[in-house]
Amino acid sequence: MSAYLISMATYAGFFMILALALNLQWGLTGMVNFGIAGFYAIGAYTSGLLSAKAGWSLGITIPFAMLVGLIAGGLVALLSMRLREDFLAIVTLGVGEMIRLVVLNEDQITEGPRGLRIEAQPFRDMVSADAYPLFYLCLVALCVAATYLICERIRTSPMGRTLRAIREDDVVAGVLGKNVFRHRVQIFAIGGGFMGLAGALYAHYTQNISPEVFMPMVAMFIWMSVIVGGAGNNRGLLIGAGTVIMFLEGTRFIGDVAPWLDAEKMSSLRIIIIGLLLIVTLRVRPRGLLPEPKFAYRKPKEAG
Amino acid sequence: MTLQLTRRRLLAVGAATLFAPAIVRAQDDKISVGSLTPNTGGGGPFGPNITASHKRVAEAANASGGILGRQIRVYQENSETNPESAVRAADKLINVNGVSAILGTWSSSVTLGIMPKCQAGGIVQMCTSSSSDIPVADEKGLVFNFQPLSPIWGRAIGNLVKSRGIENYGLMALNNDFTRSMMDGFIEIVGTDALVLDPFFYNAQQSSYRSEVTQLIANNPQAVFVPSYVTDFTAVYKELFRQGYEGTVITTSIATGKQFKDTIGDASEGIVHGFPVPAINSPAYKQHLGEAGLEDTGSVQHPFGTAGRDQMTTLLLAMEKAGATDGPSIAKAVWDVTTGDGKTAVYNLADGLAALRAGEEINYSGASGSIEFDEEGMVLGRDFQLSEIKGGKDVVIERLEF
Repeated sequence: MSAYLISMATYAGFFMILALALNLQWGLTGMVNFGIAGFYAIGAYTSGLLSAKAGWSLGITIPFAMLVGLIAGGLVALLSMRLREDFLAIVTLGVGEMIRLVVLNEDQITEGPRGLRIEAQPFRDMVSADAYPLFYLCLVALCVAATYLICERIRTSPMGRTLRAIREDDVVAGVLGKNVFRHRVQIFAIGGGFMGLAGALYAHYTQNISPEVFMPMVAMFIWMSVIVGGAGNNRGLLIGAGTVIMFLEGTRFIGDVAPWLDAEKMSSLRIIIIGLLLIVTLRVRPRGLLPEPKFAYRKPKEAG
Repeated sequence: MTLQLTRRRLLAVGAATLFAPAIVRAQDDKISVGSLTPNTGGGGPFGPNITASHKRVAEAANASGGILGRQIRVYQENSETNPESAVRAADKLINVNGVSAILGTWSSSVTLGIMPKCQAGGIVQMCTSSSSDIPVADEKGLVFNFQPLSPIWGRAIGNLVKSRGIENYGLMALNNDFTRSMMDGFIEIVGTDALVLDPFFYNAQQSSYRSEVTQLIANNPQAVFVPSYVTDFTAVYKELFRQGYEGTVITTSIATGKQFKDTIGDASEGIVHGFPVPAINSPAYKQHLGEAGLEDTGSVQHPFGTAGRDQMTTLLLAMEKAGATDGPSIAKAVWDVTTGDGKTAVYNLADGLAALRAGEEINYSGASGSIEFDEEGMVLGRDFQLSEIKGGKDVVIERLEF
């Protein structure tokens, strides 16, 4: 049982990094990104291919995965930044699918639909096989903590205020002399980098990736995490990502307590329950489990 | 109505979640077996049948006193035909339910996706997948495949259509491992000279395949071979029909099931399709129909359900033979109970158990085929059948028996 909890917590960790990245892009800056699965794939395949095929050490491949994610994020942002919210959604969804299709069809490099096997795992020789899952969880937790601190720092800094201003009304922010374009590209690139990191961690954890892993459904799970957790609130969406994994995985236990249900009913029932849980959560907590605190203007104390 | 989230409530919910699995955690000394089948997604039409077969065999075993004096508990999970979700399901089966084997994976990407976890935990896998990567990735010899690898499908279909006197072909395949390697096997038989254009791949889930189909029939080949699944083949076939193609359309029977015929109707006339079929004249197949409450119609039913019966039967016989429930011991015993000459032939679990307990050597012959494994754990041969759709029904043209 504890091995199971450890591995679910590890998955929650991947979701948390992705959710923090999406929160940076959407929750804070208001840029819609439906192409999360694509950036996730970029990270996974960059690190996976460099270690499995080029034989590079993971100390280089994982940062490299972040770098490629960062560049990809920046490029997508540069190309699409003049688009309004809804159009950006379409472009990012398209980019995500494009990346998946390239990975699927460039099979000389990526092994295409056969899937890529990855032997390498970080610090594998230094930790015993029994302790390794727990060790990997700690590694992922460390990455989540680092991502969280960076995101939180951005949110509370003057830059965070600018980003929120851009989210609420980019014209007003521009009129006030803020460089809307530069901020947007920066944030989209940083988000892409974090997604790349999550992808790399995922690839070395499961040791077998194929294009089918990176279907647009992954993006939906991350959106659910951010919305359930509370958009704009980094702490909230850590809880959100945990909650979504709990909904997805907890519902598997229905089958164990109700073994008389046949496979078709069981599977449909599980998906219905996941949907219901999400609806109920949002019904009772419309702004998420931990909403973004409302900005309150505090009058400075009278001088003198 | 909005709910206030206080620390006290959060604590209560957290504590409740931690205790909830305790209901499930109550383990007894039953033998746990995982059934991880595609109940939704691309394999949706087949999964429920496979898991139902698993359960039937386990129930029969329990009714007759169990295996090694212990009852069998089957834990069913849905792979959603998606490796991302299947890995987590496998994790639960291994670490929470403590299964000694995971049966029923169907799509190659799922079988390969859960393999690192299964190899690490010493868990036996029994699947109906066809990627030639499976024996390569199975370093510990724990995987048994109940379906021929897909190049064998391609070669069988190639041989069967070649004997119909077709001289040139157009080829395109869905871009996945299963269909791609099938195409390679097909080309091996018909030869590259018989192709009117270079074979190519198309992507799943497109709403239209207009340009692909135009390219496919550009040189007007006598026949086109399109290895595919049902969802994409439906769209491809509509386009072929719309563009007025008059040659023979050849595909896999997986793509032309009831769902396809209901959608396409009369226009499906004349499609030729093939796939490995249960050995419909074998006693085990007839027994399977009886167990599943089906009439013997003389045609193929439950193409994958039969494999499900054979997986569970093989597993339980191997456990009994090994006298143990750990992966490596079971894996070693699988060959003992299925493969080799000069042993007592058995067609179901009860007879197999009786023979084993009487000290005999057995060779289980299953409903899906004779179930003989090579040293890599791949099934050696299956019957193969080519059919043609006539008047909305599959009419058997030819059957290759193993």
